[in-house]
Amino acid sequence: MNSKFQFHERLMLGGLLGLLALLPAGCDQKGVTVYRVTNGDANATTPSATAPVTPLAPPATADAGGAPQLKWTLPAGWQEKPAGEMRVASFSAPGNNGQLVDISVVPLPGMAGGDLSNVNRWRGQVGLPPVQEADLAKLGEPVTVGDAATLLFDQAGTIDASKAIPGMPSLGAGKIRILAVALHRPDMMWFFKATGDDESVAQQKPNFISFLKSFQFAAADALPAGHPDIGAAADTLPAGHPDMGAMPPGATLPNAGPAPALPGWTVPTGWQAEPPTAMLLAKYSVTEGGPKAEITVSSFPGDVGGLLANVNRWRRQISLPPLDDAGLAQAVTALTTPAGPASLVDITGTDAKTSQPARLVGVVIPLNGQSWFYKLLGDATVVEHQKAGFIQFVQSAKY
Amino acid sequence: MFLERLIKFFASLRLTVVCLALGMVLIFTGTLAQVPLGLYRAQNEFFRSFFVYWQPEHFAWKIPVLPGGYLLGGVLLINLVSAHWQRFSLTRNKAGIWMVHVGLILLLLGQLLTDMLAQESTLHLRVGDARNYSESERAYELAVSDVTDPASTQVVAIPEPLLLKQRAISNPELPFTVRVHDFYANSTLTNNAAAGYEPAPGNVGTNGLWFKSLPRETAMNLRDLPSGIVEIVTPQGTGGSWLVSAYLTQPQAFIWQKRKYELLLRPERFYRPYSLRLEQFKHDVYKGTDVPKNFSSRLILDRPDTGEHREVLIYMNNPLRYAGETFYQASFDEDDGGTILQVVHNPSWVTPYLACLLVGSGLVVEFLSHLVPFLKRRRAV
Repeated sequence: MNSKFQFHERLMLGGLLGLLALLPAGCDQKGVTVYRVTNGDANATTPSATAPVTPLAPPATADAGGAPQLKWTLPAGWQEKPAGEMRVASFSAPGNNGQLVDISVVPLPGMAGGDLSNVNRWRGQVGLPPVQEADLAKLGEPVTVGDAATLLFDQAGTIDASKAIPGMPSLGAGKIRILAVALHRPDMMWFFKATGDDESVAQQKPNFISFLKSFQFAAADALPAGHPDIGAAADTLPAGHPDMGAMPPGATLPNAGPAPALPGWTVPTGWQAEPPTAMLLAKYSVTEGGPKAEITVSSFPGDVGGLLANVNRWRRQISLPPLDDAGLAQAVTALTTPAGPASLVDITGTDAKTSQPARLVGVVIPLNGQSWFYKLLGDATVVEHQKAGFIQFVQSAKY
Repeated sequence: MFLERLIKFFASLRLTVVCLALGMVLIFTGTLAQVPLGLYRAQNEFFRSFFVYWQPEHFAWKIPVLPGGYLLGGVLLINLVSAHWQRFSLTRNKAGIWMVHVGLILLLLGQLLTDMLAQESTLHLRVGDARNYSESERAYELAVSDVTDPASTQVVAIPEPLLLKQRAISNPELPFTVRVHDFYANSTLTNNAAAGYEPAPGNVGTNGLWFKSLPRETAMNLRDLPSGIVEIVTPQGTGGSWLVSAYLTQPQAFIWQKRKYELLLRPERFYRPYSLRLEQFKHDVYKGTDVPKNFSSRLILDRPDTGEHREVLIYMNNPLRYAGETFYQASFDEDDGGTILQVVHNPSWVTPYLACLLVGSGLVVEFLSHLVPFLKRRRAV
């Protein structure tokens, strides 16, 4: 090799290798950015004035400031732990060989899946096969939470390490046991659970039962002082919640526009506005004496799985079997709106949540890459009376 | 000597041939991979990577099976420069060859710079709307906004890749830590418990919802819609957890230390010091037919810091080039009441033009450097 190039060659190689070394740095993902935007028309975001606000507070413990609204008597040897993200109360109890039993109290809105699915979930967590609805009564032991009677499900099984459940403390491979109680309260399901190794949990079972008996709801489903207000939304959910069903992913590009603003519309007389939620743009209710119906409006990007999927989702809500394409054509009628053609379904069945007879009138409007869902659901007579007004309401919307 | 052997290796024509052959294999397999992976993942895994990995089923580790686009491009670049430096001397006779090679180097480097620096986004405006930001078509960010001040909003934007790493994210501008749990790049929501779904934590607005992970979208006209659980951890402990999701289009608010914050998982935003207001969108068709003739957007460009306030017209093949960005007429709303502009920011846009100019001129120079002596020789005969 010609020696006069050696210095240049070294320089060149060094430079190029340096460039290559920089490549990964250049391709690195970017970090957090901070900026300030002036509020005005030009950066109008989604309407937030109506968004519910949660006062953020430190974790709930029994001795957090203010009197606790949940009351219980702590069994001997139990220690309180800080409440977790979903737990309103959390304890540990001593077990065998230094093991700890984890006890949790978790409220969830609505039916939280129903008794059978809960029991089968717990059984799955200890490696037991699922059971049928008919087996529930046999499996449950009667207990009381405060004064309320319910069933305790005591499941023991063996799991291997690879099936260890994320989020379950001190639960490894081996024989484990779960004591679980689901208590139905208005709009809220309360879960009480003791989890740990088989023998330790069995030892703590009498304490767990006495803890349940001592548990008192001082105010209606109130949370310990300072806890994020879990229950506040339960009033607006789940009855009128936008029932998304299994929403397929994906929105048709390129209409990846900003979140939809609320259209202007004419609300029929007699409809009561209710607070919207994060997924719900608007919600109204109408009552005729006792029977009631609810009107909800939501909008999501893309076609949200298509008309068939959404009609079948609505059908599931009133316990009707799904349709195929041919059935869809018969079930859907075309509706003309100023925003464009819409699809209307009118179906009658049994409300899957309340097990009451129900009628559902739903309208889907594809508009500017969004799908708008209008739903009138409730007592069949009320829905019959409100249907014409509902359709006028849908047609009055100015987007 | 080691260095000599190394230079010889990098300058060898054999390396060029191997790289080009591997490049062909890479392009072929990368193209096929677009079927199961989709365009964007295939691009990232095959071309915007150093190695293409294969992961056996049920195993956590991956095996590199092919050099990726960055590695091949990098080696080719070294190969080109080394060979050029070793074989050609800087003389007038070789000026054409030099220009061709420098052009090729510029092309490779320019592509790398474009890959690293270019940014594409969309600006969707309804007639009458003004906006000073555009949004990514595919990338999401978690915006934690301090909305206490009515005049301005401070935004801490956490990009999706950070959220996917599922870690605690702190920033000096936030008086709390955002801890990310179970963040899924593509997801679905339901409000009924069903197999495979996880419950959202019980905070205002999202309790009662269940969510689960879905495979990444592969179709080009679909995008992933992420969801996840974020926990706000204050110095005093947890402040609660929220479900954030691309399906939830309204922010969720909470108050901490008398300041109001909003959480929103939204398409990544790119703010600008100027705004565009859509005055009119026109969708012209040929008379008597539905055949499109022209799409045009008449906008008002407003820039408060310079006082600039003027009308601009964007139509097909006539983009607005302003402040280093290009706004193309890309699409429109079905009711003709809105426009969708594609916004491209590419600081190295000029490099391919320069590279082509250099290569073209180099070839002409090289051709002439042979043609002229040949003609002279013929004349002399």
